[in-house]
Amino acid sequence: MTSSPSDTETNETDGQETEPTEPEAHPLQEFADRVADAVGGQAEIGFDTVKVRVPADSWVDAHRTARDRLDMVFFSWLSAIDWSNEVDVGDPPAEEVEQRIELLSALSDVTDGRLVVLSTELASDSPEIPTLVDVYAGANWHEREAYEMFGIQFQGHPNLIHLYLPDAFLGHPLRKTYPLLSREVKPWPGKVDVEAMPETEDSDEPSTENPEA
Amino acid sequence: MTIDADTIRHLSEASVSVELETEDMTLNIGPQHPSTHGVLRLVARVDGERCFDVKPVIGYMHRGYEKLSEVRTYPQIITIVNRIDWVSGYANEIPFLAAAEKLMELEVPERAKYIRLILTEMARIASHLVFNASYPLELGAATPLFFALRERERVLDLLESVTGGRFHPNFNRIGGVKPAYAAGSQTRKWSQDLPAGFLEETRVAMDKVSVAVDELEDLVADNEIIVARTRGVGVLPPEVAVAYGVSGPNLRASGVPFDLRKNQDYLPYDRFDFEVVTGENGDCWDRWYVRLLEIRESVKIIRQAIDSIPSGDLQAKVPKIIKVPKGETYVRAENPKGEMGYYLVSEGGTGPYRLKIRSASFSNISILPWILEGILVPDIIAVMGSLDFVLGDVDR
Repeated sequence: MTSSPSDTETNETDGQETEPTEPEAHPLQEFADRVADAVGGQAEIGFDTVKVRVPADSWVDAHRTARDRLDMVFFSWLSAIDWSNEVDVGDPPAEEVEQRIELLSALSDVTDGRLVVLSTELASDSPEIPTLVDVYAGANWHEREAYEMFGIQFQGHPNLIHLYLPDAFLGHPLRKTYPLLSREVKPWPGKVDVEAMPETEDSDEPSTENPEA
Repeated sequence: MTIDADTIRHLSEASVSVELETEDMTLNIGPQHPSTHGVLRLVARVDGERCFDVKPVIGYMHRGYEKLSEVRTYPQIITIVNRIDWVSGYANEIPFLAAAEKLMELEVPERAKYIRLILTEMARIASHLVFNASYPLELGAATPLFFALRERERVLDLLESVTGGRFHPNFNRIGGVKPAYAAGSQTRKWSQDLPAGFLEETRVAMDKVSVAVDELEDLVADNEIIVARTRGVGVLPPEVAVAYGVSGPNLRASGVPFDLRKNQDYLPYDRFDFEVVTGENGDCWDRWYVRLLEIRESVKIIRQAIDSIPSGDLQAKVPKIIKVPKGETYVRAENPKGEMGYYLVSEGGTGPYRLKIRSASFSNISILPWILEGILVPDIIAVMGSLDFVLGDVDR
């Protein structure tokens, strides 16, 4: 665009490249649109990850469509995010968020390595959704994990019991309001860096600078 | 007294026509058992020699890494993640770093990428050698163990010479790899490099590993007992494997040529020439053989990488306190056990808001109730061993 006219005359490929003025579409855009159209959701691409938001009532249908019509036969994983402004561990979100549980599942083909993350939103207080076990048999354990970690009820799941935790375990540990108990009992000893960083040794900067403070 | 063939046929027909009243027995295996590579409990219903309704009980090694990650900083999480699959600890760090670097939009220096790639493939060789040591042992053949572990030690020694750790290297840094202070002079600069002679020694080691692979093949592949115990046992059809999310060598043994090294860009695998090894039948024998042949492919990759490793920096410029900008991404990698990935949700802080760890062994052993249905009790060990899982990778 800043090139002189003589440059564009001598080099045709340069001239062709400068023609389109609209921003270049992401290489995954076409794929994202195709998935979104098929499953009836909204696609977004962030950092090379295609995420398609679908309504909760078409959760199972969206997966069946993705499997049968888009060749997304590989069930990679299913999990959730607890979006909450009140957190007991870690840092709260940067901005105010709507309190909700975001359920995610990742599906892939087994040819080109394309992956789509399907996402839906559930109420925080009593999250409920039909099970995916009939579509992907592998969802069984992943849903049991999401059940114990987030308290999501998967309706129609054949065996919705704890996976990792003891049967009598109370609470849902990956909820943001669930305290990290060992931290309550004993403060994290790694909070202060006791050893100086090599490059700061000679400088006046305090070496015990604490990223979490 | 002579027995003619007709009488025997008659007797055998008679024996099957009798309906025996049998009582089911519940058989408990584990949680401590040599074939479980950690603590896994199986509860099976046994009818005679066949087992039904197998229920794996996991969680004995659950360490809550996903929760823990929410209160740790990014550099601290690297130490956590290499404890997930401890047989190939180095390889676990890579997809996590790739996810963080993607959100930070950091370009890792070429030399660091090559070092990561070489060490990842060495971790794969070490992991597959452990499998080639333990699997024949579980089937009753002790000799291959010595061949395989001897070579694995060779590879681990090299890994240790660079990283300082055999199992938990903790060698990667966001934006590059750790400068090796101890191996170099006392200048205390960030530009130290691989230990002197490492690449040459690796080349020699790769030659020896290739010889050992041939030896292992001779020892195991033609062994009549091994063939009898693994051929046609525990057949996993590809359509079942993908529905359960079974990945890595287990999926390729079922004939699906799917390898994330071929289509993901977390490391520059596209510059090297290697083949995706697949099996034909998806039985235990194929799962063993695919892993053996993959060692050869890894050797090929390492040789090419040594030939073409560029010089340059080991570390991109990063701030002293790592903060990852707001964003979400999923990066997955072909680890020795299969697909390992991290769904990283950052809210701009020094640690993740949420880190979902997708580990290969978790999905790989979720197939157990399906694959163990109706098989003979002694085959449980043959099938379980062939799936090559590590309980740290299951439970996280």
